[in-house]
Formats: sequence, C-alpha cells, structure tokens
Amino acid sequence: MLAALRSRALLHHSSSSSFSNLQQWKLGFLGLERTRSSSSIESNKATELLNLQEIEQILSDVKADDIRVIPVRQHCDFMVIATGRSTWHVKNIAQALIYKAKQKQKGAQRISLPSVEGQEGGKWVVIDSGTVIVHALDEKARAYYNLESLWTTETSPKEPSSQVK
Amino acid sequence: MTNTVTLNHLGRSVFGGLGNISSGSLRTSLDSTWNNFLSQQQQRTFIQMRTVLKVVDNSGAKKVMCIQALKGKKGARLGDTIVASVKEAHPNGKVKKGEVVYGVVVRAAMQRGRCDGSEVKFDDNAVVLLDKQGQPRGTRVFGPVPHELRKKKHLKILTLAEHIA
Repeated sequence: MLAALRSRALLHHSSSSSFSNLQQWKLGFLGLERTRSSSSIESNKATELLNLQEIEQILSDVKADDIRVIPVRQHCDFMVIATGRSTWHVKNIAQALIYKAKQKQKGAQRISLPSVEGQEGGKWVVIDSGTVIVHALDEKARAYYNLESLWTTETSPKEPSSQVK
Repeated sequence: MTNTVTLNHLGRSVFGGLGNISSGSLRTSLDSTWNNFLSQQQQRTFIQMRTVLKVVDNSGAKKVMCIQALKGKKGARLGDTIVASVKEAHPNGKVKKGEVVYGVVVRAAMQRGRCDGSEVKFDDNAVVLLDKQGQPRGTRVFGPVPHELRKKKHLKILTLAEHIA
C-alpha cells in the first residue's frame, strides 16, 4: 500500500516536470509497473510488444537525437518523441524498433509487429506498440508540428485556431 | 406499432455505448415519443462526390467538396480517405481555394459500428487534410476525433487532436 502511494507520488512529481531525463523516467516507469501489476492482468499483456526501457535503449543505440518521453493518460501510456538527422535516419529508427520487436518474439507461433505509419515518406514515422507510441521525426517536421507543446500541457489546450503560414 | 419498434431499435443504438458525440445536442428517446412522424430520425449515408465537408485543422481551408472516395463503392465513412477540392479557404493559409487535396474523414454523420456493438455518430462531417504521403497539412486538429483512426493507421491525426472521443 505504502509502495503504491510512494510510486504514485513519484509519477505525479515526474509528470509535473515536463521534460525529465531518462533516470527519472525509469523510476516513474518502475512505479507505474508496480501499480499496474496490482490492477489488472490485461495491461501486462499489452506491454508485450515493446517496453519503454527497450525503446530507450534502441533509440540510444541508433543515436537518435533529443529523446523525450511523455506520459499520456488518454489512448496510450507513454509517448516517445525522437529526432532523426535525415529521412534515412528516421526510417532506420523505425526499422530498428521493428527488428527488436521481431527478435523479442522469436520462436513464438504468431508474431505481432508494431504498426508503422509514414515509412515511405520518411518525414514522420509513428510506431504504435500498444501502450507506447514512438514518433520519429526529422528536424523540420519536429519544429513544424511541435508535439511537445501539445502533449505536455496536462489538459487539452483550448487555444483559438492559429493559421499555419 | 411499427413506429415503436423502430424507436426501440434507434434508442438502443443511440445509447448502446457512446451514442451521439456531438458538439451540442444529445437526442433522447423521450423527445421522439411526442410526434410519431417527426420521431423517425434521418437516415445518414456515406460521404460521396459533391459532399461538402468542414475542415477541422489549421491548414487554411474551411470547406472542401469531396471528389472521390478512395475506398468503397458507395462512399467514404468515418476514417476513410477522400480526394477533395477546396471550396472555401482562409485568406492567408497554406491551402488555397481550388486546390485538390487528400483528406481523412474524422467526423461523420453516418453511424459507425464499434467492435463492442455500440455505434458512434457525430453532428457534422469533418475532414483533416493530408498530402499525398499521408502527412497532415496542418499542425492542430480541432474538435473530437474518434478512436477508429488508430486502427485505420491515422495515428498522426490522433496525436495532433485536442480531444479524443
């Protein structure tokens, strides 16, 4: 009970500071795991495809720049945003994540891969592995779409519509 | 007698799960019991050629007219891609009037069944503009968008949305 409270407090603290480093996120994630395992069995099955720690490791292996992990309570649990230096680099990040998912499920009868969008374009690739969604963008796209400002405000932003020039 | 039978069917589908998610009204079955001939709700249908849709991102367009529904013989539904022509646009936007654009239907007046048996329908027909590669033209999406976009591989629109129904 105390552990659950402590982990929830940790998660709250780490979610209030928007741009947190990896270490804090590992603590937050561990806390979340503990609370999650106590709640339901289905959510554990949903993290099968790719774990947050594995994703962090792959992104640092592939040398993706500027990795941000954002907790989202709506349709997924975590959102990871990474930048690639060129379109080829962005595509490579996606390939690496899929390769890791395939490796993880080696020997299983049915392999379920994370769904990838935007692979041909190379400007913005989204990898959806259930609870974690990874966005790999290139520099221009990242500046254009500005995803952090959307998802790091806690409530849905209700700004007046601004035209895109 | 036949009127009440259709009423119950409609009532069940409206409150089955999520019912009417709209910006304004929630139709109740009590209203429809008053006048029988007024109680039969309008049967909404697909989005086809000449359908005018609202644009709900900040790409610069305001209204587009569908030219072609890319999948489906009868027309496009919630989550499908269409080819459209811009009929009305903001004066200084990225998209100009008369331009041929691709778009994804994010709100449709026609109900769409969900896998748990409920149906979802909105009050208007709305579209988000994309380019040929599937990248969104605008940077923010306004109004509610349904989960169906996740399954249809339009996660980018979901991440740009302000509210997910």
